[in-house]
Amino acid sequence: MEIIRNLFVLLIFPGGLFLLAAGMFYEWVDRKLLSQYQNRIGPRWFQPLADAVKLLANEEVIPEGSNPTLFIVLPVVALAGGITAALYVPMAGFPPAFSFAGDLIVTIYLLSLLTLCMGLAGANTMNRFSLVGATRTLTQLFSYEAPFLLALLGPALAAGSWQISEISAYTTQRWLLFTQPLGFIVALIGLMGKLELPPFDAPEAETEIVAGALTEYSGRGLALFRLGKGVEMVVGLTLIAVFYLGGVSNPLYFLLKTLALLLVVAGLQALLARLRIDQTVGLWWRYGVLLVLVQWLFMIGGRMVL
Amino acid sequence: MGAKMQTNKTDGKFTVPIGPQHPALKEPAFFSINVDGEIVTNAYVRLGYAHRGIEKAAEDRNWVQTLYLLERICGICSHIHSTAYCLGVEKLAGMEVPPRAQAIRVLVAELERIHSHLLWLGVASHEAGFDTLFMYSWRDRETIMDILEGLTGNRVNYSANLLGGVKYDIDSAQADSIRQGLEFLQERLNYYLGIVTSDALFLKRTRGIGRMTRNQAEVLGAVGPTARASNVARDIRIEAPYSAYEHFHVSIILETNGDLEARFVVRIKEMLESCRLINEILDSLPEGELVMRMKRRINPGETVVRVEAPRGELFYFIKSNGTDKPERIKVRTPTICNMSSVVKLAIGSQLADVPVILAGIDPCFSCNDRSVHIDHRSSKTCRWTWEELRKYGIRYYNGDHS
Repeated sequence: MEIIRNLFVLLIFPGGLFLLAAGMFYEWVDRKLLSQYQNRIGPRWFQPLADAVKLLANEEVIPEGSNPTLFIVLPVVALAGGITAALYVPMAGFPPAFSFAGDLIVTIYLLSLLTLCMGLAGANTMNRFSLVGATRTLTQLFSYEAPFLLALLGPALAAGSWQISEISAYTTQRWLLFTQPLGFIVALIGLMGKLELPPFDAPEAETEIVAGALTEYSGRGLALFRLGKGVEMVVGLTLIAVFYLGGVSNPLYFLLKTLALLLVVAGLQALLARLRIDQTVGLWWRYGVLLVLVQWLFMIGGRMVL
Repeated sequence: MGAKMQTNKTDGKFTVPIGPQHPALKEPAFFSINVDGEIVTNAYVRLGYAHRGIEKAAEDRNWVQTLYLLERICGICSHIHSTAYCLGVEKLAGMEVPPRAQAIRVLVAELERIHSHLLWLGVASHEAGFDTLFMYSWRDRETIMDILEGLTGNRVNYSANLLGGVKYDIDSAQADSIRQGLEFLQERLNYYLGIVTSDALFLKRTRGIGRMTRNQAEVLGAVGPTARASNVARDIRIEAPYSAYEHFHVSIILETNGDLEARFVVRIKEMLESCRLINEILDSLPEGELVMRMKRRINPGETVVRVEAPRGELFYFIKSNGTDKPERIKVRTPTICNMSSVVKLAIGSQLADVPVILAGIDPCFSCNDRSVHIDHRSSKTCRWTWEELRKYGIRYYNGDHS
């Protein structure tokens, strides 16, 4: 029974099929919302699926000068990281499949795996656009990661636990959005940085460096990276909804709260112009970190007064 | 570029090739950018990929056919090319075009200026990564495209000009629809003017970026809105009014900063000025004939025409030998004048700013690509006949690059 349950958890729900489908669905919602904000028609609902199928069927060209093993393995690791992270998160309102003390830290690092793999994938090829893109991807990783981590540790501190299931139980009755608004803002914008959405799309700015770190990827590798991004978006939105929007105790709440977050994220994408990479770094270390630290000061101060 | 992709690691510097095929370029051109980290240390440009031999082809066509050929030099400012050509040929033939035709020419030219600048607004904001402004400005540009289609039946190559006049008249119903469209556009343009001068994130990409001082603009020979953003009062419509600009006066738009923000502001304000001018022309459109009869053979002689294209000064040299075909036509487009400023301004700026700096001059490569044949081995220039050029083209594309 244990084996069947584990296989189900890994391949069907919440890992595997469900996550891939949800990733593509959320990618479509994001693109559709953005197109509506920009007064365009936007893609049809099955476009992400069609893209994935087409890319998977395409030939994968391994460029000269790169390490073929790394070239093939990196996209797999990136997608696996995203799917594994989902096992510790209460996806779709159900309790996490696995849980242990401190799984929050593991989840956050599993989520960073995608960015890390993309950076390595870019550095692995000799393409100049890829190399510039990889530098930018990794630079961006080092700028948003610390504030994002601190922003997610805020609710953990309030709940007194670093276990996602316990934090989830604590936040189910409380909307930390109102008690920790600064942390919420940093977490949401940190997620946009993680997903390289505008205004943090300098690592893949097509007018400068074509497709950034992924310029040399075609076919299967590109499909896996894109699926990985979709998965990461779902997991990230779920984490923020669990931590800041009063938890996701049932599938309906899950859908409503994550889609509401996506509405805001898409709006910000439409509203903001791309930042240069040096401006991104400046923004995170000057304002992002400061906001989170102010939030922490308030929390610690509040705790001492009470 | 060799068959094998190589990273250039000499003195720790890194060369990023932009073009000939690159998402930032809507037309082929090649920029070789040396970077140290994200800072550009050297830039090199190679043009000529969109060369089509139009000047040579013109010598093989009669005066009327050449008009339609030259209109196809540029896909955006087609009307201004045919206007420059018509003005020159009419000058050679010693004809005076009826005032109504002159006014309609200017009116279409100003409509074209608005459509060209709106297109630029979209492209430039896309290069800077602000896609929402791109989508909005191109949506609003459709208003102008509809007006032009209503007037002439075409959206891009209107062929409104004829040698000796214009082809289309404007009736009161059309005038009303133009006024309506312009009213909507003026409201939108004022809104965009607010955005490009107040959006904090967008200003980070435009304010103080690619700054060209007045002195630099004069030395580099910048023209058009690019020069006017650097406070160089250079506008042919005012310096040497041609056609109906003698009666309908344009006020010059100048900005002092010379950065990308100033170029956005100059172009948007110019569109507002064009709207005003079009309304003025519509209100006092002279009555009279539309076209004069043109001779088939043009008197021998040479002439030079300067007009203000949306991108800046457009220069035509026309030589006639008294037959029904032009002896020589030379075109100098504004992009080639502004291109040196791109290379100059790119050095020392961030790699991320290069596409926006390039877009800042509103480049049009198919306009500027025309050539003289230079044989590098014997380093002599020679003139080719149309037949020779065609034969060379066929040989080249069959793989013989000698």
